[in-house]
Amino acid sequence: MIRAAFGCALLAGAFLVTTRPDAPGSGPFDIPLFNTAKVPDARGAARLVYAASPFGVAVTADGHARYDVLIDASGLPTPSSLGEYDAYVAWAASTDLSQWERLGEVTNGQSIVGQVDMNKFLLVITAEPKGAATHAGPTVLHGTSPSSWLQNFLTHPLFRGVPP
Amino acid sequence: MRWSLGPRGAAIAVGIALVMGTPIAAVAQGGMAGMSGAKPDTTKPRAAAPAGHVHDGMAMDMGMPIPMPAGMPMMPGLVGLTPDVGEFLPGKGVDPRTLPMARPSQTIRLKNGDTLDLSATLVRRTVGRNTFTMYGYNGQVPGPLIRVTQSATITVRFHNRIDLPSTVHWHGLRLDNRFDGVPGLTQDSVKPGGDFTYTVHFPDAGVYWYHPHVREDIEQAMGLFGNVLVDPPDRSYYSPVNREQTLVFDDLLVNADTLIPFGWDAPDFVLMGRVGNVLTVNGEPHYAMTAAKGEVVRFYLTNVSSSRTYNISFGGAPIKVVAGDVSKFEREERVPSVVLAPAERYVVEVRFERPGRVAIVNAVQAINHFAGEFEPEVDTLGTVTVTGSAATPDYAGQFATLRSNADVATDIARYRRYFDREPDRTLRLTVATSALPLATVQFMNVDTAYFAPVEWMDGMPDMNWLSTGKQVRWILHDEASGKENMDIDWRVARGSVVKLRIFNDPKSFHPMQHPIHLHGQRMLVVSRDGVRTKNLVWKDTAIIPVGSTVDLLIDASNPGDWMLHCHIAEHLGAGMMTVMRVR
Repeated sequence: MIRAAFGCALLAGAFLVTTRPDAPGSGPFDIPLFNTAKVPDARGAARLVYAASPFGVAVTADGHARYDVLIDASGLPTPSSLGEYDAYVAWAASTDLSQWERLGEVTNGQSIVGQVDMNKFLLVITAEPKGAATHAGPTVLHGTSPSSWLQNFLTHPLFRGVPP
Repeated sequence: MRWSLGPRGAAIAVGIALVMGTPIAAVAQGGMAGMSGAKPDTTKPRAAAPAGHVHDGMAMDMGMPIPMPAGMPMMPGLVGLTPDVGEFLPGKGVDPRTLPMARPSQTIRLKNGDTLDLSATLVRRTVGRNTFTMYGYNGQVPGPLIRVTQSATITVRFHNRIDLPSTVHWHGLRLDNRFDGVPGLTQDSVKPGGDFTYTVHFPDAGVYWYHPHVREDIEQAMGLFGNVLVDPPDRSYYSPVNREQTLVFDDLLVNADTLIPFGWDAPDFVLMGRVGNVLTVNGEPHYAMTAAKGEVVRFYLTNVSSSRTYNISFGGAPIKVVAGDVSKFEREERVPSVVLAPAERYVVEVRFERPGRVAIVNAVQAINHFAGEFEPEVDTLGTVTVTGSAATPDYAGQFATLRSNADVATDIARYRRYFDREPDRTLRLTVATSALPLATVQFMNVDTAYFAPVEWMDGMPDMNWLSTGKQVRWILHDEASGKENMDIDWRVARGSVVKLRIFNDPKSFHPMQHPIHLHGQRMLVVSRDGVRTKNLVWKDTAIIPVGSTVDLLIDASNPGDWMLHCHIAEHLGAGMMTVMRVR
């Protein structure tokens, strides 16, 4: 009974242009980066920009979006201040941390690092020896792709028949 | 994500396919009345479908009549609801047995000065195991492939023999404004039984298409579309290939053995546009062709779907992209796949190197909103059987070469000085809603954390189906004047170069990509999100992803009143259009 009444209810009134509340980033392309205790003054943000493509929208043959990653960082100390390190390196990691892809080196200011084509990923910046191919050093900045915020409604009342 | 078929069931504004909430008959008589942003009175009770357009046996059974993605339940709050519109399918009152079966597209080669009779008619069309009453041009789906030489001018005598008003829009052609086919703007709509004569000029080489500009969500979806191939006089314009082939991509929304009816007094599926579950190539769900080993085929690709954006590949066969909507690229490129938004065209060359079966696939990462996950969606659209015999001549060498097109680069060079200037106009893409089902509103209010730049699938077809042109108004918002859609006063001088910035607001109620189409002119996508386009091509349609800012440079050389609109048919039908007046 409640369901039927709820289902038939309509909102009446004039057309409204409604805006949505702020998402974790300001859009589907923005990644706020959070610092760790090792670098209390470090700040950062990343932006995903479609990789160059004749179609404007860059995807792989199986449909994964391909983005260039732009990182804007500040307050990063000299890597050697954290140990035997020479550079900061950005990595894209799958959400279960099983896959890590080296994107490129990051400095204070703007850095354009490599491309990422994961549906959801973590963006992790670590201090590493020069040319490190695998991540081993301390994490200084990290964030998650906007797509990682995709919500799960499996248990949401909207799908369980309970009025919100 | 696989689609399952739910229980059977089912559920005009015309003018530029667009007059919200205005019945077809009224628009046929009244032209542009209602185009100036008039809003439907949503307080009225549900409008009765006009006589002659209610389909017996198609009444809603109050169950879920549309297919849902497998594993996704319908929201309880939507159960039992139906769209707040009357319903329509072609051919009411017509005995389908009296209708001809639709035939495949046939090529008609026309010379300068020739005349073509083009009739929109009812046809019977078999799609898979089902036969439906649909539309076709000259009894064909796709309509006849019109093949002409660049700079030709032809006459097309259009005969409207369907049960709706119609027109023919010549998509992408920089032709005389009087023949652009926009009812209420460049001509009156052609009533059923009426005729209209178009003079069609072809200034640019490439692949173009024609379709109605009246209720595209119905007429185009039901089969009214066809290609035009404009051959360049210079035989070396393209690289040599063994064969040329047009591929027209479309999708139909079918539940078991019936088409899902269309909204009569306003479009339905207006939030996302109608995304079909039966994908077709050249009207066939199982397209097939044969190629010789090593054969190089030049494909002319066109997306005529109402809403679906494709990601097309050829089973790993190498693809070279050659041209876009209105010109070749500055440079040919190898690509893994071709992203094709509604109304876009691309010219690609593919070499089938190994014998065997090559699948033409659409492969995307769909979003399962229920599970909060991405899921691969792969649809085989057709097959190419590559035989063991070698293609002759062997064009492997030419295919391996990526040409630079000096003619295109030289043409575009004249416009580079405009690339970095401030935009002449900025449009923000957004949406307004009223009287949507409460459950839809609530869901949209809680599902705010992420919206994909491009939605490749309809992940919430129940909500989408229930949204109509009475409840949703898609908006081109002019940032300078605050005006919207047809209220925008946009005048430009003939011969000027106009920089148009379009921002797709990610914070709107329902953010979604929009393929924005400009009639009668050509434009360059000079940058996306501040990044300069590295390989330019003249376009007439450009996809604007959610959250993106795209700068377009318009060569406003063709005088007249030209529509700029979203080419998602239901978005157009819900008002997302304006006019650029070039004098």
